[in-house]
This record gives sequence, structure tokens and C-alpha cells, in this order.
Amino acid sequence: MSEPRKLIKKTDATIEALKTQRLRWVMGISQVGVKIDEKRYHEAVDNIMKDEIERQMIIGAVKERGPLTIKELSEATDIPSNRVLRHIIALRKAGTVSEVGEKEHGYLYAVS
Amino acid sequence: MAESEFEPLIVAFCCNWCAYAGADLAGTSRFEYPTNVRIIRVMCTGRIDPPFVLSALRWGADGVLIAGCHPGDCHYVKGNYMMERRFNFLKEVINHLGIEPARLRLEWVSAGEGGKFAALIRDMTKEIKDLGPSPFRRLKSGEPV
Repeated sequence: MSEPRKLIKKTDATIEALKTQRLRWVMGISQVGVKIDEKRYHEAVDNIMKDEIERQMIIGAVKERGPLTIKELSEATDIPSNRVLRHIIALRKAGTVSEVGEKEHGYLYAVS
Repeated sequence: MAESEFEPLIVAFCCNWCAYAGADLAGTSRFEYPTNVRIIRVMCTGRIDPPFVLSALRWGADGVLIAGCHPGDCHYVKGNYMMERRFNFLKEVINHLGIEPARLRLEWVSAGEGGKFAALIRDMTKEIKDLGPSPFRRLKSGEPV
């Protein structure tokens, strides 16, 4: 797919994403005439909060104890390792953490 | 498309109470400004949904201007503050997409500032001309969207 075509696909997806309730809450838009489902609102806010809190916990653990593997991070923070992996992927993408070495068949992550 | 031939297309969302009246005043005062702008009147900048802005860019606008009342002057009390919050979010979004954030502008124009409105359009047209056609327009000239 050509670069401009990719951009169009991504933009169309973004336009749709901006219509989703989760992003609209982040932007502070409540839809007029649409009754906000309280249960879903709490779920979305909880998820966003949970993600942010867990990420800060991971960052805190790495800052405190130096480079850690996914397994060690999971033990240090009491977050299941599959969630830690998800957060590490997100944090790496944002450039907050990076791989600094290897230990026991796993990568070590540190705050960059 | 040669650089000299490029005439940008700017979509301006103007709030009914301030910026639209400002644009009106620019017209009645015979201030000259480029014809590159297409004005869309909205009752308040708070009515502008982020997908509107992104869709304008998606369907061929080279720049989008959002003009509303000065802070504290909103006819609906806080619509312009709401827009400001969304605008900051939108800038992040279009930056993420790889579109120059300078294509998007938020300005405060009161009903008495016809001169400011004309100057703003002149300035923005020049800025977008320097930036060149939007990535979507570049595609449009070559292959069908």
C-alpha cells in the first residue's frame, strides 16, 4: 500500500476513534441526546486509570531496583506478567522504557 | 502541481457570535483578504466535533482555522474553553498522523475585529502556501481517493 493510502486508512480510523466514547470522555465531550451508560463510563474510566496506575508502578519499580525482566516486574508489582508485557510494549513505544540487556532468556528493561 | 500554482484551501469554522460577525465586518469594512478561505458558521466553537476538523483535512482542505470568541466572552459561557481543550488533543492527533500541526489553528476573533480577521486569513494563507499542499491533496492530484 502506498504511503498516502496508508495515511488515508489511518485517518479514517482516527475519525472513527474520535467518535468512540472512551476518547470522547478523555476530550471532555459528552454526547448530547445520548444517555451515558453509567456502567460503561465507570468501566472505561477504571480501565484508563488502571492502565495509568499500573504503568507508573512499573516505572517506579524499575527506578527503585534498576533494570528488571518482565517476570521480576510482575513479582515486584503484583501485576500479572501478561499485563506487564502489554504495558512494557506501550511504554517502549512511548520511549519511556527501553531494553538494556538480557537475563535468563528475558530482556531487562530500564527507564530511558 | 507546481509550487507557484498552488492555491491552498482553508476551511474556517467561525462562531456565530464573534468570529462570523468579525468576518462580516471585514467584508462590510472592505478589508481585503484572500479567497482561499471557506467559512462554515457554527453557533459556538464548542459545537465543533473533532471528527469535523479531521474530515475537513481528509477530504482535501490544506488548513483548518477555528475562530471563536475571546476567552471569557463566549455567548454560551464556556464553549471556547471546551474547544481549546479538544484543540490541544487534536493537535496531538494530527501530529501522530504525520500532518503538520501548523495546518490547524485556533484563534480568538471578536465581532469588532474585522481587521484582525482579514490579517489572520492573509497570514494563514501565506503559511499554508509555504507548507505546500496537504498530504491528502497530493494523493488526489495523482490517483483517485
